Order: sequence, then structure tokens, then C-alpha cells
Amino acid sequence: MTPTAESQKTIDAYLAALRKQLRDLMDEDVKDIVEEIRTHILDKTSGDDPADSVPCTLAALGTPEELASRHRTEGLLKRARMARSPGYLVRSLLRWAALSIAGIIVFLISVLGYCLGGGLFILGALKLISPHKTGIWGVFTSHNWSLAFQSGGQNGGKDLLGWWLVPIGLILGGALLFLTFRFGLWSIRKFWRPRAWR
Amino acid sequence: MKEPTPPAPDNAEKWEVQLRKGSLELAILAALWEGRLYGLEILRHLEANSDLIVVEGTVYPLLSRLRALGLVESQWVESDSGHPRKYYRLTDAGRLRAVEMARIWARFSASMNDLLSPLIRETKKELRKEEP
Repeated sequence: MTPTAESQKTIDAYLAALRKQLRDLMDEDVKDIVEEIRTHILDKTSGDDPADSVPCTLAALGTPEELASRHRTEGLLKRARMARSPGYLVRSLLRWAALSIAGIIVFLISVLGYCLGGGLFILGALKLISPHKTGIWGVFTSHNWSLAFQSGGQNGGKDLLGWWLVPIGLILGGALLFLTFRFGLWSIRKFWRPRAWR
Repeated sequence: MKEPTPPAPDNAEKWEVQLRKGSLELAILAALWEGRLYGLEILRHLEANSDLIVVEGTVYPLLSRLRALGLVESQWVESDSGHPRKYYRLTDAGRLRAVEMARIWARFSASMNDLLSPLIRETKKELRKEEP
């Protein structure tokens, strides 16, 4: 049975809302999901059973928000597992953090690791570009001491690492970034359990 | 003496719903055992052959997850209905996983049946008493 114009309008509105909710996934995945749901609705509503009417079918699928949420969680998990992309990994961690305490802990550790690793890496690179203005400066007196990552030098302070900041910053920072990435990936694979299906 | 308060009836129902939903992954793998099916066919197969509560909106994301895990693979196929359909079938890894899960299920249910046999006998007795 071909859907009436009104039913078709309802289906199109549902699919448009679903597409909108899935906008943070890859275009290819969004198209695949939306097309599959479209064919499901068309197949389900092709008979004469009132239980398979368009409103009943859409209600059984859940709201576009609910359906997209389930797909989004699985989609991000899939990307994080399969593509090994840092961008997807961070988004997956963020979503995981919204779902559980374990996710929050892993996300915070990852943020700390990325900030520290990124900071060290940038300092190492900046030392190459502007050696006299970049360094880790320490000021030590009999009463107190201070440490500063500073661009522009520290009056009376001592550049603690000098040129060693370049290899240390680049290697240690890079290693920290890599390890943080691997930690996030390992945590997702090891501890992420999709929520019970609702 | 005060009568003991019976447990809230909805607790048992909730437990039953969770039990059925938890079996959905295995049920989908089992539905695909004989060959490829598309989403609605899987739903109809489960409705006809199992006591599961199948919520349509959960099946497609679950299929997506099984695909991401490499347990099923999918392919769009043209059909007579005028639109293509996305068919799913088990991969070799999916077949292995299904067999493994079925083995675990059989062992678990057998041990539970042993454990529950006194309760089941009691239930049968009560049912017989209720019969006219």
C-alpha cells in the first residue's frame, strides 16, 4: 500500500528529524541509517493491518532523539574502535563521560594527559623558534622558589633545561600524547559496556 | 502477627523484561543462522519464534553494533518492493560467537533448571490444584 500524502509527510518529517539528530556522525553512516529506517517504515506500513499504521510504526521506533541517541552511541563506539581517530576517540570519551562515573574518570585523565603532553610538545617546538624567549625558568631564593613556563624570560631566573627543552618537550610531550590516546582507546575497549537496551 | 508484605508485583515484571532484553543479541545471531535477513524480517522472525520483547527502535542500533564488532555484515540489495533493503548475515566470527553464546546459554539454563526444580515442581502442583 502506497502511503497517503499525509503519511508521507509524517515519514519525511520523522526522517528529517532523525537526520538532524545524527548530524555529528559521518555523512555516509547517516545516509545508511536513515535509508534503512525509511525502508523499514515503508515495508512495515505496506500491509492493511492497523497495528502497522505509520503512527504505530513510528511510535515503535521511538522518537528521532531516542533512536539517534542509540545509534550515536554505537556509531561513536564503532569509530573509536575501528578508525582509531583521536577526534572520534575524544568525542566517544565525552559521550561516555555523560553516561557513567567510569567515563568521567577516563575523560578527566585523558584531558590532563592531552594538556600536559600538548603543552610540553608546544614548549619544545617554541624553543626551536624563539630560544631566548622560551624556557622553564626557576627563581630560587633563601625564602622561596618559583617555577615558570614563560615566554620572554624571567628576570633573575635560571633557564633550567636550556636546549634540552627541545628533545625533552618534543619526545616526552609526544609520548604523553600517544600514551593518553592509547589509554583512552584501551579504556573504551576494556570498560565501555553499552547500556541496557531500552 | 502482621502478615508479611508480598513483593511489589512490578519487580518480577521488570526482571522478566530485563531478562528478555538481555537475550536479544543472541536471538538476533540465532535468527541469522540459517541465512541473510533484513531488519523487518529479523523482527518478524523473533516475534514468531521467541518470547522476547522486541522493541523496533533497539534492533537497528544493535545490528549496527554487531556489524561494528564484525559479527554480522550487511549489504543493500534491490527488491521487488521498489526500494532496496539492507540484508544482514553472519560472518565467520559471528557464527563462532553464536555457537559460543548458545553453549553458555545451554549450560547456564541447565544449571538454573536444576536449582529451580523444587520451585518448578511446586508451581506445577499449584497449577494442577487450580485446574477444574
